[in-house]
Amino acid sequence: MTASLLQAPRLHRTVLANGLTVLVLENPVADIVSARLFIRAGSTFEAPHQAGLVSFLMGLLTKGSDTLSSMAIAETVESVGASLGTDAAADYSVISLKTVSADFAEIFALAATVLRQPSFPPDEIDLERRLTLQQIRSMQEQPFTVAFNQLRRDMYGEHPYALPGIGTEATVSAITQQDLVDFHRQHMRPDNVVVTIVGRIAPEAALAQVEKTLGDWMAPATPLPALTLPPVTSAPTCSVVTQDTNQAIVMVGYPAASVKHPAYPALKLINTYLGNGLSSRLFVELREKRGLAYDVSAFYPTRLGLSQFVAYIGTAPENAATALEGLRFEVERLQTTVLSDEELQSAKNKLLGQYALGKQTNAQIAQLLGWYEILGLGVEYDQQFQDMVAAVTVLDAEAVAQEFFHTPYISLLGPEAAVAPLAAAQA
Amino acid sequence: MNSVDFPASVIRLENGLTLIHQEIAATPVVVADVWVRAGAIAEPAEWAGMAHFLEHMIFKGTDQLPPGVFDYAIETQGGMTNAATSHDYAHFYIAIAADMLPQTLPYLADLLLHAAIPADEFGRERQVVLEEIRQAQDDPDWLGYQAMSELIYQDHPYGRPVLGTAEILQQRSPEEMRCFHQAHYQPDQMTVVITGGIPLEPTVELVKHAFRGFAPPPPCPPAASSRVPSLPGVRREVLHLPRLEQSRLTMAWLAPGIGQLETAYGLDLLAAILAEGRSSRLVRELREDRQLVQDVGAGFSLQRECSLFTIQAWLEGDDVDRVEAIVCDRLSELAAKPISEAELTRAQRLLCNDYAFSTEAPGQLAGLYGYYGTIAAADRCLSYVPILQSYTGDRLRSLADQYLTPLRYVSTILHPA
Repeated sequence: MTASLLQAPRLHRTVLANGLTVLVLENPVADIVSARLFIRAGSTFEAPHQAGLVSFLMGLLTKGSDTLSSMAIAETVESVGASLGTDAAADYSVISLKTVSADFAEIFALAATVLRQPSFPPDEIDLERRLTLQQIRSMQEQPFTVAFNQLRRDMYGEHPYALPGIGTEATVSAITQQDLVDFHRQHMRPDNVVVTIVGRIAPEAALAQVEKTLGDWMAPATPLPALTLPPVTSAPTCSVVTQDTNQAIVMVGYPAASVKHPAYPALKLINTYLGNGLSSRLFVELREKRGLAYDVSAFYPTRLGLSQFVAYIGTAPENAATALEGLRFEVERLQTTVLSDEELQSAKNKLLGQYALGKQTNAQIAQLLGWYEILGLGVEYDQQFQDMVAAVTVLDAEAVAQEFFHTPYISLLGPEAAVAPLAAAQA
Repeated sequence: MNSVDFPASVIRLENGLTLIHQEIAATPVVVADVWVRAGAIAEPAEWAGMAHFLEHMIFKGTDQLPPGVFDYAIETQGGMTNAATSHDYAHFYIAIAADMLPQTLPYLADLLLHAAIPADEFGRERQVVLEEIRQAQDDPDWLGYQAMSELIYQDHPYGRPVLGTAEILQQRSPEEMRCFHQAHYQPDQMTVVITGGIPLEPTVELVKHAFRGFAPPPPCPPAASSRVPSLPGVRREVLHLPRLEQSRLTMAWLAPGIGQLETAYGLDLLAAILAEGRSSRLVRELREDRQLVQDVGAGFSLQRECSLFTIQAWLEGDDVDRVEAIVCDRLSELAAKPISEAELTRAQRLLCNDYAFSTEAPGQLAGLYGYYGTIAAADRCLSYVPILQSYTGDRLRSLADQYLTPLRYVSTILHPA
């Protein structure tokens, strides 16, 4: 629906002399400008003993620069009612900001400063570490998170996708200021950065602002860091966490295609068919017809490396076995059951319609464009993705199910009496 | 105060239904958001959970529309639909390509007006709601919020969980639910908000046509009496929960409802001054400087009859008493000392920009109009920015003195078992 927004000539793409990529889209509707500064370095670049380093580093960017204290940065942003945040994902990291148009130049300049010249003050490192360690412990409070962390560890072994981006107590305890400085020097460089700006701003003004704040940033002569990831060997397991919860969590995970794999659009469609919305197969079969759950769904994250296709359900402990059987049945049945043309078309309409609904705000558009660029797909991928989805056939979907939906990894959480026998039965 | 023109049209149809419409040019999306003044507060006490359970059952079809057909029709045309229930309202939402609205809105209207509530579906869906309750009971923050609500609202329905309880839901029947539905899903209790890429005239025709033929309201047990509570002093409750990794302290104050919007917005400003962002008073002192808390936040939640002001901290169990004492101390200070111009301006800009940021997409706008339309009047949301900007430090100070007193509040403390 909003596809035209992203098409030339309204979208301006520029590469500065220092290698930094800039994408600008003028959208005058609201008095808002959203921007993202993406860095092509996510937690996949962490050494195993440094898990959580990128997330830690990104959190510290706004906690001190060569010229500004943490509190001075906060006051600058908050005094104009803007937002400035950071995030670290598996395949990239990002600084996000949102302002009314009049404040954009000031807050963008601040974002550029914290990206280029963070100071990693020792007392801020201590505070961030304390907060992060507690956050890691607090993940144990959420049954879904505990079950998912277990599944991810089992599926990925030594691969960095095995751990949550925040790291572990052991690795975060060991991070030093030198680690932060080294990682920053190695990865935060203009030829590794994509800036997107969307909102009420003329493209020339936006570009001039980027030139002014980031144009004189020189890339080091060394080549960009290359990514080498350990191979993942598939050896499905069933793991259990026993907790006296009111609900059991049952999760199945199948290793799945990366974003650049030809099966990606078909798997996205299958994910929509099975797990997206009130008319999805899992929702209708397990919730509407059988009353087994409130929350039952599937997700398939977009990843540069090997992804995972996960289906899960939260159910009364006594229904855990039925729920596991139901989840597996619905996913694996697609190996032998060809979807009808109508089912496939419905899934396409749903996926493409919701994709369009996800491009309504300046922030959503800035995120999507920069994300495609930083993953190496290019902004054209916005259209290509839609075309590839439209082209998937029922036989493609069946072939993809046959390729990926073999024996799953299983993660169970719940009272011992319910989950222990179920796990034993999987052995 | 109302110097800004309300950009939406508010139309009262002949049958008493309120329609709010705003065309947003250049968007291919339309949002239809139907708000019904039939939240948990409309329930008799022995029917607690009925309003929320009914929201589930609305999607189970009518005599014309078998279960699932509506969801399928919306989603296969690329749209999204969902619903939510609170104490003051239930609302039902579609976002869809603009040209699909004429085909889909009549379905939503049919569900809302003529929900069949079939007995077999009722039994099955009750299992789903019981799962929702089980899931909530595994969430320590939900448990803490409920405990605090009960403590502060006492017998008022705002103190009851919107989800109800398993015991009560087991005793309810489809007949009772049909009665509750027909009594409350009436045109004078309903606001239809349409925003996005559709002009006014076809919208009026579409809504008039779809939302007609309401059944006459049957007699229905009246809502639980809802005397607005008052707090005589400080009430404290300590809960020990399994699997907790960190303690929580929630302090809460009662505040006026929708009848005193100026006060309400002033309390929003006070929440921002106290705990919005790293340079706010409590975050700066308790987290950044003294490092006594993992996080601290303040919030004002506007409700029709009686609002709530909360301060919440995540912290080590040993620090709870100390932090509670410091917060009380800072509130006394807030009520006694002038608020600086810089602090006031900062809070005003934060909230005014938040307001701008949260009215960017048609769905956000529809939610805002529907909410205000249901608990007050839609155009009241327009007074938000002018009222915020009219506040002086001195008026805020006296507001803090009146409402955020360390002498009358509740505190709910969660500790690991």
